[in-house]
Amino acid sequence: MNQLHDSIFVRWVTGIIQNRKAKTGVVIIFIFLFLALLGPLMTQDSTAFLSTPLSPPSSEHLLGTNGQGQDVLAQTIIGSRQTLLVGFATGILVVFIGALIGGISGYYGGKIDDFLSLLINVFLVMPGLPLMVILASWLPPGPATLTGVLVLTGWAWNARVIRSQMMTFRSRDFVSAAIVSGERNIRIIIVEIMPRMLSLLASSFIGASIYAIGAQVGLEFLGLGDVSTVTWGTNLYWASNDMALLTGSWWTFVPTGLSIAIVSFALTLINFGIDEVTNPRLIAERVWRANIPTKKIVNGVTPVVKSHE
Amino acid sequence: MNKPLLSIENLCVNYITSGRPIKAVNNVSFEIQEGEIFGLVGESGSGKSTVIQAVLRTLPPPAVITDGKVVINDKDILSISDTEVLKYRWKEISIVMQSALNALNPVLTISEQIEDVLREHSSLQGQAIQDRTEELLSLIDIDISRLDSYPHQLSGGMRQRVVIAIALALMPPLIIMDEPTTALDVIVEREIIAKIIELRKNLGFTILFITHDLNLLLEFADRVAVMKNGKLVEMDSAQNIRGGGKHDYTQKLIGSLPSASGPRERGMLSKPENLSLGSQPILEIQNLSKSFIDSGIFNSTSIDVVKNVSFQIYPGEIIGLVGESGSGKSTIAKLIARLIRPTSGNILLNGNNKKVSEAQKVPLEYRKQVQLVFQDPFGSLNSVHTVFHHLARPLVRHRLVTKQNLFQTIIENLETVGLKPGEAFARKFPHEMSGGERQRVAIARALSLNPDLIIADEPTSMLDVSIRMEILEIFARMRIEKNLTIIFITHDLASARYIADRIFVLHNGSIVEENSAEQLIQSPKEEYTKQLIKAASPGWLESLSLDNGDMKNA
Repeated sequence: MNQLHDSIFVRWVTGIIQNRKAKTGVVIIFIFLFLALLGPLMTQDSTAFLSTPLSPPSSEHLLGTNGQGQDVLAQTIIGSRQTLLVGFATGILVVFIGALIGGISGYYGGKIDDFLSLLINVFLVMPGLPLMVILASWLPPGPATLTGVLVLTGWAWNARVIRSQMMTFRSRDFVSAAIVSGERNIRIIIVEIMPRMLSLLASSFIGASIYAIGAQVGLEFLGLGDVSTVTWGTNLYWASNDMALLTGSWWTFVPTGLSIAIVSFALTLINFGIDEVTNPRLIAERVWRANIPTKKIVNGVTPVVKSHE
Repeated sequence: MNKPLLSIENLCVNYITSGRPIKAVNNVSFEIQEGEIFGLVGESGSGKSTVIQAVLRTLPPPAVITDGKVVINDKDILSISDTEVLKYRWKEISIVMQSALNALNPVLTISEQIEDVLREHSSLQGQAIQDRTEELLSLIDIDISRLDSYPHQLSGGMRQRVVIAIALALMPPLIIMDEPTTALDVIVEREIIAKIIELRKNLGFTILFITHDLNLLLEFADRVAVMKNGKLVEMDSAQNIRGGGKHDYTQKLIGSLPSASGPRERGMLSKPENLSLGSQPILEIQNLSKSFIDSGIFNSTSIDVVKNVSFQIYPGEIIGLVGESGSGKSTIAKLIARLIRPTSGNILLNGNNKKVSEAQKVPLEYRKQVQLVFQDPFGSLNSVHTVFHHLARPLVRHRLVTKQNLFQTIIENLETVGLKPGEAFARKFPHEMSGGERQRVAIARALSLNPDLIIADEPTSMLDVSIRMEILEIFARMRIEKNLTIIFITHDLASARYIADRIFVLHNGSIVEENSAEQLIQSPKEEYTKQLIKAASPGWLESLSLDNGDMKNA
């Protein structure tokens, strides 16, 4: 019937490698991660005052200097470290907590579900942005605080989604079959059900990471992060403080802004890729479209393509 | 012979994939004469639905029609423009879909859905539309007071009749019926078919009837075409096919199912020479009841699914639990497998008098003794794991084998259910196997624990007709070899008759009749059992139409 003899994971990895969107996204993310890891070796000191403040791009400072006379290229590259770390850490934690609470809630049902659903709902109706601002200004600034605040305000939606997915799997026959053969609940959740949710977990992770990067930059831009560290958010904060727009020194904020946009774009591309790999219908339809003359496609009418060789 | 109403010549349909295109329909040609009932029969994946969807040009991507002609009214549907295609749908050909629940829009009343077709495709207006709608409802014997009902307020049979009414709305000369009764219970199925035949007699349309059930088709079709793997393997009059057919495959389809009436003739299963049952019941069910509570915000309603059911089963017995959908048979299966807890009553295994309703945790021992085989082999295996995983887990969990022997044991278990070579199958994933192979894996998994009792919940109903008997044979053989006790749950009286020693007939949550299989079939006592048997016997159509005639005269 089917020629594939690989496990779902192998199929997935090869699918994502073959998918053009996902491949582009992965390459971009790897470039950023590479720069973030090896950046300090390649750039000038990002905090040193090197030149005249707000000097435009030159051969010495490729992207110019900011209001403190620091190198913008170095700031952009060094700034990516904490921003990406907090972003991906939040993504992982949100998915982990969401899977844990949503998964338990959806699998066990009954009283456990009543209690955990209530908890999820309370966090869902809490206004996230004000809470984020209050917590961030009240707690000592730093990456750990930022991650904590973002996870606290962001986990509930994921838990909700995973809970409903878990509930549908809970009623499937393969789960009943595992129960009847004596399997322990925790093993059923982890070994039997979680692999089936892989696409949901992966796209949740990516969605949460994009959210975390955006929200984190937002908080720091408002001055709620540690302004003495170099991150994409504080870069923008200082650019704004130094009235970069008024002075027309675009080079102080465009590199950071563009980096944020490109990273989010790359993550979204990966998300699309995962969607296509795990939902073969999307690919099938594209292949189909590529194989028939465009004028032949009318919605709801099967095309007739007679090939007379 | 007259000019045919519909003629299909060399129809070819491909499914486009990233690799080679898959030939779903390969050079199919047939003609349908005016007024006849033409049956197209084939198992799942044979391409029968693809053929009729190609005729309507409603095939979704990734399908492409690559060759052929479909001529109706001197027009080749495959060469006219797309807007013209839309015009001939419903006017020249209408279709009755398989699942009436999906074919009807749940948020529109049935009158709105019938009127919608009339408004869109006919010149009728205002009062005339309403009159026609009421006329259509009376045609299908649905009371006019139900006009404003929503689909969910109607029974499955009524919904299917509404779909037929919509197909009849414009009086097209040809109506295609794509498995119109597959989702229905057998008694309702028979009523719907009788209704269709009666309507055709009065209104004179032509029917193209698609089904996987050749025996059903042979009751009323004039001509029958058999499809396999996208090709037409045989086409003949129903009479000749009934006589056995020429093609091997047709013969296999006919011979594959036992009948529910008359003497036992076909499909003899292995039965023990002389059945020696233990004296102590292996399973005793006492006053078992289960009600589901549907709790809303303002009120909660309770539905009694199983009502006060009691029975005893002795070691080595095969029990047939027969009932239609909604009779509570699957709930009983889940109760005995202890997937759900009963509202009241006891389940005693081997005389172990521990009240199930009180037990918090099901002991591992019980999980070893009682196994369940599910209806849907696509759903009961986890698509991310290999066959090896499915068979290894129960053995490891119950510590039945050592690590060194694990692979060898699994291979043996696979070969017991006819999956040879076991090594190759152990490495496969569920999607790499056919439905029958998957069901064999599920059975092997249940058997691997050496259970005392196996509950088989409709294990053959999702499988193709030609492999059902093979699956039944596995159960029958295991009973002899391993002295298994089996509860065989089914809606199909005929297969219960052939495998079971005793049959319990379940209706609305209670057992209405129980007897040894042959006695129950030969001399049923309850009216409901008689109905079931009649519906499952050849020649039911004549008796049903006679009944209708009587009702009209009276």
